Amino acid sequence: MLSPILLYYSFFFLLPVIANLIVSFTRWSGVYDKPIWVGIANYKAYLVHPYPLTLFNTALFTISILLIQTTVAFLIAVLLNQKVAGLGLYRALWYVPTLTSSAITAQVFFAFISPYDGILNAILKAMGRPIVIWTISTLWMRTFVIVYSIWRGVGTPVVLFLAALQGIHPEIYEAAMVDGARGRDLLRYITVPLLRPMIVFVLITGMIAGFQIFETVMLITAGGQSSTTSGGGPFYTTNVVLLQIYRDAFVSNKLGMASAGSVITAIILLWFSTTNMRLMSRGQLER
Amino acid sequence: MRRRPSVGRILTYAILIGGSAVMAYPMAFALMGSLCNLEDFYANPWFPIPFSFYSENYRILFTPEFMARAAIWRWMGNTLVRIVWYTLVTGTISVLAGYALARLRFRGREAVFLYLLSSMMVPGIVYWIPTYVIMARFPGIGGNDWTGQGGTGFVNTFPALLIPGWVNVYFVFLLRQSFYSIPLDFEEAARVDGASTLTCLRAVYLPMLKPVLTVVVIFQFVATWNEYQWPLIVSSGNPKIWTLALGFQRMLFIGAEFKGYPPGSAFIDYPFSFAMAVVATLPLIILFLRLQSYFVEGVKGFALKG
Repeated sequence: MLSPILLYYSFFFLLPVIANLIVSFTRWSGVYDKPIWVGIANYKAYLVHPYPLTLFNTALFTISILLIQTTVAFLIAVLLNQKVAGLGLYRALWYVPTLTSSAITAQVFFAFISPYDGILNAILKAMGRPIVIWTISTLWMRTFVIVYSIWRGVGTPVVLFLAALQGIHPEIYEAAMVDGARGRDLLRYITVPLLRPMIVFVLITGMIAGFQIFETVMLITAGGQSSTTSGGGPFYTTNVVLLQIYRDAFVSNKLGMASAGSVITAIILLWFSTTNMRLMSRGQLER
Repeated sequence: MRRRPSVGRILTYAILIGGSAVMAYPMAFALMGSLCNLEDFYANPWFPIPFSFYSENYRILFTPEFMARAAIWRWMGNTLVRIVWYTLVTGTISVLAGYALARLRFRGREAVFLYLLSSMMVPGIVYWIPTYVIMARFPGIGGNDWTGQGGTGFVNTFPALLIPGWVNVYFVFLLRQSFYSIPLDFEEAARVDGASTLTCLRAVYLPMLKPVLTVVVIFQFVATWNEYQWPLIVSSGNPKIWTLALGFQRMLFIGAEFKGYPPGSAFIDYPFSFAMAVVATLPLIILFLRLQSYFVEGVKGFALKG
């Protein structure tokens, strides 16, 4: 049952990955020249500014977004699983930012943080405070990237948790209630254990996706536009690994550097996932 | 027993209503903005209010001249074919693979799972060029000889938009985790009645997986609807097989031309680009509203036999 799936999968997975691995040991613009073998020079270059900073930013964004987003999503999903008036509408609205195209969301978000005619500065002015040029402040731009990401992305884990909550068979609750379990016991001994596989799923996929954060940073730091060249500011302090890979590949035509970046990303994530294998298999109910 | 509104209940409503307002804001902003003329749009930066109710941004899409330049219905058809195809293929494969990885016992199960998962860890950019080469150099297709030389392979043909991406590892992982959430007792009860693996899948698991399968349908629909990079790489030379995501880009330029802007300046007219974005997003929201009742209903009305 699994082998044809694996065969098809390997074809479209291994070929690109092997090609990428080879290119990562070369210097190649990808346009008119032939690749030149340079050994591990590209990997060494990852130890020099601004590359370590991009790795740090990526880790910072991944961890803060993942922790806040998952907690919020879990609480909201539990709230949405109750019987409240207008439930369908609330459920839909939490997923709307995820559905809405980034062309809209980034523009609207930038209307808030735009330094000169933005809404946040209009509020500060109305309160008689000095305005802040958000776009040159590292702290604020990092905060905005995190806030925007959570706002845009929280819908996905909400939907997943909600589906998992709804997927718990009522008979399991009934059986426990026959045994004398009540309210809080049900949550603790039935809901949370049965939800654990989904929590693990949300954390692992969230980590993998978070480490590949790219579009958000680009849109927020480049004034709501899609621009690989001008994103990541101020002074690289919001630059992330994927954005740097794009810049190496398409702006500075350094395919070797870009490939090395991809390999490093994959290795970090793979290392993280294998060390979390125990956490992952804790999601199993099997005896 | 009489119920009076408790603090918890009031707090619940406050969080839900406040949160929903924050979530709905950008879409409402875009909808209102798209109905504004430029003057109204810039009059109120907090929230554009369409005093003049300017519908030109939408009407322009339905003029015969516009329709003649942009094959909206054709692109819509292509997109829907892809959505149905990919939902069926990835859905089936994910259920089978998820079951195998969660329930069957075989050597190296965890290794196979990690091998699958590792493709999510490689940035997407790594796949584009090699996958393009695989499509372009496919032996015996599109004028290629058996070594894959001489022709263009699947490039600029519709199969190129249907062949890659059958194994969606995200869904395989999701289904594997969902199988773990279902106690083994259900399958064991069915096995006692003499059910085979496939019968168990169909009669026992599928009804219980309905909420999560609805999620698969929604996520796949949204992903395929919005997918831009791969269609751009492999089909940009043949507008007949374009998908809507590609078409919208073209429509933005045609629309700007119709409104008399010089070429390449479509982005200055925010109300118009908002109108296009609303057209691109509304079908997804309607779909979500319709489908969510499936995972809201949950798994009622299914009883454990045995």
